[in-house]
Amino acid sequence: MVTHNTTQKLSARTARRLRTILAAGRVTAWRGVDLITAAMLAAAFGVVFWAFDTFVYPGVSAVTTGFPPAGELALGVWLIPAVVGGLIVRRPGAALFTELIAANIELFLGNQWGVAVLLSGALQGLGVEIVLAVLLWRRFGALTAVLGGIVSAVLEIVGYEWWSYVAGYSWTWRIVYLICGMISGGLIAGVGGWALVRALARAGALNAFPLGQEVRENDTSR
Amino acid sequence: MTPPAELRFPILPEGSRRAPVGALVEVQDLTWRPFGRADPVLEGFSLRIEPGQRVLLVGPSGSGKSTLLRAIAGVLTTTESGDLAGYVQIDGREPQGSAAVVGLMVQDPADASVAGRVGRDVAFGLENESVPRENIWPRVRRALATVAFPYGVDHPVNALSGGEAQRLALAGVLVLQPGLVLLDEPSSMLDPQAATAVRQAIWAAVTASGATVVLVEHQLEHWLPEIDRVVALGADGAITADGTVEATLLAAPDKLAAHGVWVPGVPAPRPLEVPSRLCAPVGWDVQVGDVVMRAEGVGMLRRLPVGLGGAGGTAVGGTPAGAVLTLSGAEAVVRAGEIVALVGPSGAGKSTLAALLAGLERPSSGSVIAGQQLQSGLRGSPADWSSVELARRVGWVPQQAELAVVARTVRDDVLSTCRTLQLDEAAPRAEALLEVLGLAGSAETDPHHLSGGQLRRLALAGAVAHGPALLVLDEPTVGQDRQTWAAVVGVITAARDAGAAVLVATHDRLLMDLADRCIRLDHGRVIEAAESAESAAAVPPAPAPAPTTPISPAVGPAARRGRFRPLAERCGPLALLGSAVLLLAGALAITRLSEALLGVAAELLLAPLVLGWRGHRLRRLLPGLLAVASVWFSTWLLSPHQDPIAGATAGMRIAFFVLPGVLLARFIDPFALGDHLAQRLGLPGRPVVAAVAALQRFESLAGQWRELRRIRRVRGFEAARGPAARAGELAALTFALLVQTLRQAGQMAVAMEARGFSLPAARRVRRTWAQSAPWLPADTALLVLAAVVAAIPVALAVLR
Repeated sequence: MVTHNTTQKLSARTARRLRTILAAGRVTAWRGVDLITAAMLAAAFGVVFWAFDTFVYPGVSAVTTGFPPAGELALGVWLIPAVVGGLIVRRPGAALFTELIAANIELFLGNQWGVAVLLSGALQGLGVEIVLAVLLWRRFGALTAVLGGIVSAVLEIVGYEWWSYVAGYSWTWRIVYLICGMISGGLIAGVGGWALVRALARAGALNAFPLGQEVRENDTSR
Repeated sequence: MTPPAELRFPILPEGSRRAPVGALVEVQDLTWRPFGRADPVLEGFSLRIEPGQRVLLVGPSGSGKSTLLRAIAGVLTTTESGDLAGYVQIDGREPQGSAAVVGLMVQDPADASVAGRVGRDVAFGLENESVPRENIWPRVRRALATVAFPYGVDHPVNALSGGEAQRLALAGVLVLQPGLVLLDEPSSMLDPQAATAVRQAIWAAVTASGATVVLVEHQLEHWLPEIDRVVALGADGAITADGTVEATLLAAPDKLAAHGVWVPGVPAPRPLEVPSRLCAPVGWDVQVGDVVMRAEGVGMLRRLPVGLGGAGGTAVGGTPAGAVLTLSGAEAVVRAGEIVALVGPSGAGKSTLAALLAGLERPSSGSVIAGQQLQSGLRGSPADWSSVELARRVGWVPQQAELAVVARTVRDDVLSTCRTLQLDEAAPRAEALLEVLGLAGSAETDPHHLSGGQLRRLALAGAVAHGPALLVLDEPTVGQDRQTWAAVVGVITAARDAGAAVLVATHDRLLMDLADRCIRLDHGRVIEAAESAESAAAVPPAPAPAPTTPISPAVGPAARRGRFRPLAERCGPLALLGSAVLLLAGALAITRLSEALLGVAAELLLAPLVLGWRGHRLRRLLPGLLAVASVWFSTWLLSPHQDPIAGATAGMRIAFFVLPGVLLARFIDPFALGDHLAQRLGLPGRPVVAAVAALQRFESLAGQWRELRRIRRVRGFEAARGPAARAGELAALTFALLVQTLRQAGQMAVAMEARGFSLPAARRVRRTWAQSAPWLPADTALLVLAAVVAAIPVALAVLR
C-alpha cells in the first residue's frame, strides 16, 4: 500500500477561492461507492415519491384541477434525484443514472404514466447532465443546481410532455405550462436539491464525497 | 505454457485443490488519519498474524478495531479519504488485488446482500472473479451447505431471519475460499440461538478450510474456546495486550473490564445511581401498581410492503396472500413503578407488541387500552391520540436507534419534545441526563456524528427527558460497553423507582435479571407471563414449534403451470419494456379520435391473450385512469375554442400507451432486468449490479420511512393536516431517510468491494453472470404484436 494524499495542499487564500473539490481521480473513473450511492439515493427517492404521491400530491392536484398548468408547479419534485445525484457524485452520468433508476422504481411500483416514466427519467437526467457538462463538472454551487433544474424541466416538457400530455393545448397554454415547469424545476429541484445536499454534507453523510470533504476542511480550518 | 491447476479445474472437491492452510497477515507501520480528524485512528500500527491463527481483537469503541479490519481487507479508502501510510500484506501481496484472498463479514447482514435470491447473492463474488457460469452453481451450493443453510438457491433473500441472513452473508464470503476471514461483530445483531448457529457455521467452515481468522467482538464469552490469540487495543489504537486467552483476558480481567470490555467471569456492572427526579414522570400522578397500558387479545396481521415484483413477498397459509401474522391473541399489562421485560427469539413479535403498547400502531384484532389517568380527557385508543398527546404520555426508543435523530445538535435533540410540550423547566433535567449518559461532551455535536452506542443513549435521553408516564424501550442496551451499560440501566431503574411504567424488549440476560416481570413471546404468542423475573429467566428456551404455517412462494409462474399462461408472463423484461415503448411511439402519431379509438380497441382485443384474464389488481390502473381523465379534461379546457373532440383524442392517446404499459410493467422482474440489460444490451456490469443491489434494499428503505414517521409522531412533531404542513414534514422525513440511505450505501460499498465489486473494472475484464438472459420466441411474438398495434395510427394517417 502506498501513501495516499488525495487533496492538494492549498494556501489559505487559494483555498478560499478554489473551494470546490472535484471527484477523486479521473472524473470519469467512477468508484464503487459512487455507483452504489447514486443507486441507493434513487431507491430512497423511490420511497419519497411513493409517499409524495400518497400524501401530498392528491392535495396539490385537488387545488390545481381548476387550472391544470399550475399542477406543473409540482414537476420539480421529480427532478430532485437528478440534481442531488449530480451534485453529490460529481461525475459524468451521475444525474442521468440516479434519475433513471428512480424512474425504474416508479415503474415497478405502478405509476400514472406507465413506461413513459423511463423516457421522462432519461430526459430529466439529461437536462441536469447538460448543465454540468457545459460547466465541465467543475461547478456545483446553487446556481448550477438551479440551472440544472430549469434545463431538466425544459427538456422534459419540450421534449416529451408537449407532444403527449398537453398536445391538444393551444400554444399560449403550452408556454404557460412550460413556464410553470421551469419555475418549479429551478425552485424545488434547484434550490431545494442544493439545500438538501448541503444539509447532508453538514450531517456528515457525505464524507465519502467531495462536498463532504469541502465542508470538513472548512470546519477544521476554522 | 500450461495454466495453473486452479484455472483448469476450478470445481474439484474442497481440500484437493488447496492445502488447508490460512493466509499470513503482515501489517507494518500502518497510519490512517481520515480527513477532518486531528489525530490518526491508527498510528504506526504493526501486527503479524501467522497462517491459521484465530485472533480476537478487543478494545473500547473508537479504538480502531473496525478500521484495522477494513485496512486488512483493503477497503479502507472505499468510503473515506485521508492520509494513509504503511502497508498491509496478505501472503506477501496487497489485499486489493483479489477478492478470493480476504473475506470480510460485516455487522449487519442486510449491508452484504446484493440480490433478490439466495443463490445469486452467494454467487456475487464468483461473478466478480469472472468464474464461468457452469462452475458457479456447484460452488454456490457447496458454500450454502457449509453454513448449513436451510433453503435452496431460489429462496427470496428478504424472507430470511437475521440469523439466516448472516449465515447467507458468511456463505457469500466462504464461496471464494479465502485464506483469511475477517469478522466484524458477526453476531451482535442476533438473538442467542441465532448467534450460536452463526458461530457454529463459522467455526465449522474455517476448521475445514484452515483459514486465518480475525474477529472483532464485544460479547466474548462464547467465542473464546476457539480463539488462539487475543490482541487488545487501547483507546488510542495502540496494542495494550497480546497473547493467549489465558495470558490476556484471564490474567488481567479487571484491567480490560475497566476499559469497558465484557470479559467473561467478571461480575455484571452495577447500575449507575441516577437521581430518580431526572427520570420522574412530569405532570402524572400515577401510583405504583396502577395499570398504565393494557393489551387485550391483540393480533397483528402485517401486509407485506408493495414489493418490486420478482423476489417479492411470501404468502402464509391461513392468512390473506401478501400478509403475515406477527402477533396473535397477546395479553400484556404494564403498571406504574415496574420494569416489564418482553423476551423471546427474534421474530417472536416483541417489537410489534412493544409498538402496540406504545400507541404507535393499531392492532388488527383485539385492543390496546390506556390506564384511567392516561386516557382521561382523550378519546379513542392510543393509536388515535394526537401526536402531542401521545408524546406527553409515552417515550419510545426504537430498535433502529439511529433513526431517532430529530434535531441538529445533541442538546436540541433531547430538548425538542420538551419544547413541543412547552416544559420549560425540563432544560436542567435534559442536561443532567446527557451528563449521566456520557453525552455531555457532545452536546453541541450533530447527532449524526455519534457512534451506534451513543445514538442509542441519545434516543433514551430523548424518550425520558420530557417525563412520559410510560417508557417503551426496544433493545436499549445493544452496543453498550460495561460503563455505558451501567448508565443506561441506571436511567431505566431510576425511571421505575420514580413511578414510571417501563417496558423493555430485550435479549440482554443482565437486563432481564433486573426486570420485575418477564413476558415471553414465541411465534407471535405470549407463552409465559411470569410475575417475577427469576422464574421466567429459569425457563429453558421453548422448543421451537414446527412452523405452524408453511411458507410457500407467492403465486408465481410455477403455481400457474398447467393452466393457460398469458404471453406477457412468458416474456423476458426487455421484450416487455420494448413493446411498451413501441406503443408510446405509436401514440405520438395519433392526431385523430378515430385513430386512438381503433388503437385502443385493438389493444382490448389482444389484452386477454397477452395479459391474461385474472390476477390483475385493477387498483394499479387507477392512477393511469386518473391521468387519462385529467389530460382529457385539461385539454378540452385549454385547447383552442374548447374543442370536446380534442379533449377526447388527448385522453384516448394517453390511454393507448399508458394503460398497457402499466399492466405490462407488472410482469417485469427487476432483478432479471439487470441480467438482460448487461448481457443482451451489453450495458456495463458495475452500474447494473449497483442498481440491482439498490432495488433489493427498496423494501427496507420503505420500512425505515414508516419508522421515521412513527418516531416523529411519538416525539410530538407530526404535522397537522394541510398541504404546506405536510410538505414540510415530507422534507424533514426525506432528509432523515437520505442520511440513513447514504450511511447504508457506504456500508454496502465496503461489503461489496470486499467481495470484488470493482475487480472486473480494475482488471479490465468482463464479469460473468450466474444466470443467462435468454431471448425467447415469446419475446419476438410480443414485440411483433406491439409493433402491429403501434402501427395502426401510423397506417391510418398514411391512408388518409
